[in-house]
Amino acid sequence: MKQDTTPAKPSGGAIPLAIFAVAAFALPVVLSGNRYFAFIAGVTLIHVLWACGMNLLYGYGGLMPLMFAGLAGISAYTVVDLTAAGWSFWLALPVGALFASVAGTVLGLPSLRLKGFYFTLCSLVIQTVITLAFVYFAGLTNGDTGISQIPLPSAGGGQPLSALSYDLVLSAAAVLGVVVLVLIVRSALGRRLIAIREDDELAGMLGINVTGTKLIAFFIGSLFAGIGGALYAPYIGFISPRSFDVLISMNIWLMVAFGGRGTIWGPVIGALLLAPLSFLLQEYYTVKDVLYGLLIIAVIVLMPAGIAGGFGRTPRLPAPDLGVSPQRGSSK
Amino acid sequence: MNQRAILLEARAISKRFGGVVALKNIDLTQHRGETLGMIGPNGSGKTTFVNVISGHTRPNSGSVAFDGTALAGSSPFQIAKAGLTRTYQAVRVFGELTVRENVATALVDARDPAPPETVAEIADWLRIAHRFDSRAGGLTLMEQRQLELLMRLVQRPKLMMLDEPVGGLSSAEVRTMIALLSELKARCTIFVIEHTMKVIRELADKVVVLMAGEKLAEGPPADILADQRVIDRYLGSVDA
Repeated sequence: MKQDTTPAKPSGGAIPLAIFAVAAFALPVVLSGNRYFAFIAGVTLIHVLWACGMNLLYGYGGLMPLMFAGLAGISAYTVVDLTAAGWSFWLALPVGALFASVAGTVLGLPSLRLKGFYFTLCSLVIQTVITLAFVYFAGLTNGDTGISQIPLPSAGGGQPLSALSYDLVLSAAAVLGVVVLVLIVRSALGRRLIAIREDDELAGMLGINVTGTKLIAFFIGSLFAGIGGALYAPYIGFISPRSFDVLISMNIWLMVAFGGRGTIWGPVIGALLLAPLSFLLQEYYTVKDVLYGLLIIAVIVLMPAGIAGGFGRTPRLPAPDLGVSPQRGSSK
Repeated sequence: MNQRAILLEARAISKRFGGVVALKNIDLTQHRGETLGMIGPNGSGKTTFVNVISGHTRPNSGSVAFDGTALAGSSPFQIAKAGLTRTYQAVRVFGELTVRENVATALVDARDPAPPETVAEIADWLRIAHRFDSRAGGLTLMEQRQLELLMRLVQRPKLMMLDEPVGGLSSAEVRTMIALLSELKARCTIFVIEHTMKVIRELADKVVVLMAGEKLAEGPPADILADQRVIDRYLGSVDA
């Protein structure tokens, strides 16, 4: 059955996507003279990927998983342990990401019963348990001390990748993340997720498999978390339970909410603005958390739809014309 | 189409909420093309009955067959996909989305999604086409009820269960809605819960009266509205 005729104004059109892709790949090259700035750009690109995953779940699905960073951590520890055991990083990455996906799908199960705020609360507890597990299973994670001197992965030959090449890998991951999100949002899955976000009982009444759709969303969203986590560990070179604690989940959530949940570009902008902020504020780390707290309150109270949503309501998917032309005069 | 084929068959449906018996041993048969009206005072179990049929509430006992298939244990979305759809007593649309998006959402997992020409035709018939780019939450109650019907019809259901379709409408709107519903009969089979006798009298081929969870009477509207027990226990007390 053909339904999707050309959408009027696609969310995340080809032109902004092209601009973003060019910028993402140009950035590491332009900044290659200054390792510090290039590093900030790289971390920001990982956050773009994370924000896309959080946006899928929170922005489109209406689910707020505060265990997001924990899932990234599961993948990061898996990949670091596997590479330490002699695996190739490029083989360990999909395995680690898949671990995070399966874990995210299982840990997302409470969302089938708990709605809105109650699931968020539950995910907060899950995140805490994951953090404690990272501390407790010191055999795998080296506990609170963390794992340091994680090497950058090697290219095919065995020689470690140059910093610039790895930066470009991060660019590719961020661009791919946005592209995949655009594709999902434009598919039937996107429409199902929005329907569930708006009214899950009505969605079910219209034939939408609410349970299945939520689990698929968790699987894909956690995959974003996992890939980001796997890329993060060798880039920073050090991971500890604090690298993936609840504050990181909150930061990623804030990027989505501040930028504009349920839009393609809002959370990307949110990540681009907020991820570098923590580096700029490094010397003022005592006020950093206060500032983030204030920002969270400001977003919730003043601009629930985020920058991209202006102060208005949540933006939407382009709908097919359905044989009824737009802006038609009253019939009859 | 065989007009006499049984479309919906409920056998010995019982439902208790704690100590309260909401439905007691309800048997009900609806044929294809037959408009069935269900009446009864508040709390008599009408909405509970629809909830049981549409899969929102599990009955304590009894069975439901729809179009020859048992529905036992099916989720609402599976029942919807089988071609049994419903509306809610309080109107329910995706208020933040436009009418167009609401309809597009209804088409995603429809049993038999209508092609664009048919969608446009139904929208014209329901006189809602001019509102396609408006936010559904900003429509009048009547328009939201029209949108509800549109969202169900584009799925081309076999049976539509309407829970008080004229609730909250003005008397002029009630007349319009009754006219729409009588034309709706040509598009799918209708099961309608109503308080308004006018709706039942003009639409229903068969009426079932529920009283405190039990079936009090069943038959053609003229007989039911003349039934002394129904008058004594329900009509007499409501329609003064």
